[in-house]
Amino acid sequence: MTSDAPDIHTLSGAYALDALDPAEAAAFEGHLESCESCRDEVRSFRDAVGALADDVATPAPERLRTSVLSAITEVRPLPPVVPVDSTSAPVSAAHAPVSAVSATPAAVDELATRREAKARRTPVWLQVAAAILAVVAAGGLWRSATLNRDLTAATTAAAQVTSVLTAPDATTVSSSVSTGGRAAVVTSKTKGTSVLVTDGLPPAPDGKTYQIWFIGSGGAATSAGFVPTGDHTATVLAGDPATASAVGVTVEPAGGSAQPTTLPVLAVKV
Amino acid sequence: MSMDVNPSSPPAPGSVPGAGGDDATVLVALLARSSRGDESAFAELYDRTSSKVYGLARRVVRDPAQAEEVAQEAYLEIWRQSARYDTARGSVLAWMLTIVHRRSVDRVRSSEASRQRDTTFATLGDGPEYDVVTEAVTSNLESARVRKALTTLTDVQREALTLAYYGGYTHREVSELLDVPLGTIKTRMRDGLIRMRDTLGVEA
Repeated sequence: MTSDAPDIHTLSGAYALDALDPAEAAAFEGHLESCESCRDEVRSFRDAVGALADDVATPAPERLRTSVLSAITEVRPLPPVVPVDSTSAPVSAAHAPVSAVSATPAAVDELATRREAKARRTPVWLQVAAAILAVVAAGGLWRSATLNRDLTAATTAAAQVTSVLTAPDATTVSSSVSTGGRAAVVTSKTKGTSVLVTDGLPPAPDGKTYQIWFIGSGGAATSAGFVPTGDHTATVLAGDPATASAVGVTVEPAGGSAQPTTLPVLAVKV
Repeated sequence: MSMDVNPSSPPAPGSVPGAGGDDATVLVALLARSSRGDESAFAELYDRTSSKVYGLARRVVRDPAQAEEVAQEAYLEIWRQSARYDTARGSVLAWMLTIVHRRSVDRVRSSEASRQRDTTFATLGDGPEYDVVTEAVTSNLESARVRKALTTLTDVQREALTLAYYGGYTHREVSELLDVPLGTIKTRMRDGLIRMRDTLGVEA
């Protein structure tokens, strides 16, 4: 952690302006956890930063109003955050797919809120992943013979996710997903592994799935797996990120395609 | 969270029927109603904020079609997150604009858009875009209050703020653009915001 460098406090302005790159934003958010004066300062900048938008107000096209008001009829507002007993983990996570773990525990909602309170930048991915892992661990409570194998696989996947997210050389690239929500690709070169973390991705349409691709420098796409269903997911990508220059996600027919057949909803350089 | 949260909770939804309360209070009530699925409240929230939301997206993203997409995504996120807004985070408007700005910046920094921007970036030396950006704060101001606040800044403070906020540039890029050391840019951004904040009287 370099977050305790003497001048880290001076990053509050750049942070409030969204002018830090993801790694720096992550380091600064780590610092915010322990520095109340920086937290207060960042908060105190919010209205000043927002005031800058006064200068650029522009009437929005009428069709934007129509499409926004039509779109919200199909989206359920998230519930408010309520205090939860952290020991009561939901059961659904026990059914985590073999190559990925997903969960929508209340604990993650709490994290989502903490994220909102600061910013939606890198450490959030670590927090979300940590919450997912906690649920997987709790999955042991419902262990049964039939679930045992899946659970072991999920735990193995979880360990792999952890090892990538905590690797000293882990780099994170995050972006919004065009269909909604956000995603980040965390890559560790030394481990030769990438993890795709998603947050608030809407479910794929009926009969469709989100397929993940490694994209080579020449544009060739290689399937790297699928995004599991869930509001918060972490997926270990199949393949070595060293051979890829980007990671993309496309909506494909259930079961997946050999090559992408639609425009990516997410594309980030790795 | 912070220790100095105003203990008085936001006005009970319904107690602010749109007339009366100041704009900020009205937005709090509209957002609270939205969080319970009230689409007409969200429509009013939209009407009261869309020019700022769209204008900010447009300023950062530039391309009108992409700005519309960003604004739409931002409004959907605001709708989804409406129950999670907390007065301790600042005004509703500032909260909404934070969401819009992040999404706008993500858009211009994402791979597709960055390719287009790279070209712009490379030809920025004698700076038509740069001029446009700084001009926005020196001549095109609607808000006298903000203009006044910005004029209290030094040139480097003002340029650093506007390139980052309106231009969507990272502090490293701003440092390159202005040919000013990174450490100086960091402190100018912070000093500039402190001065803006104090001038605008929006100290938290």
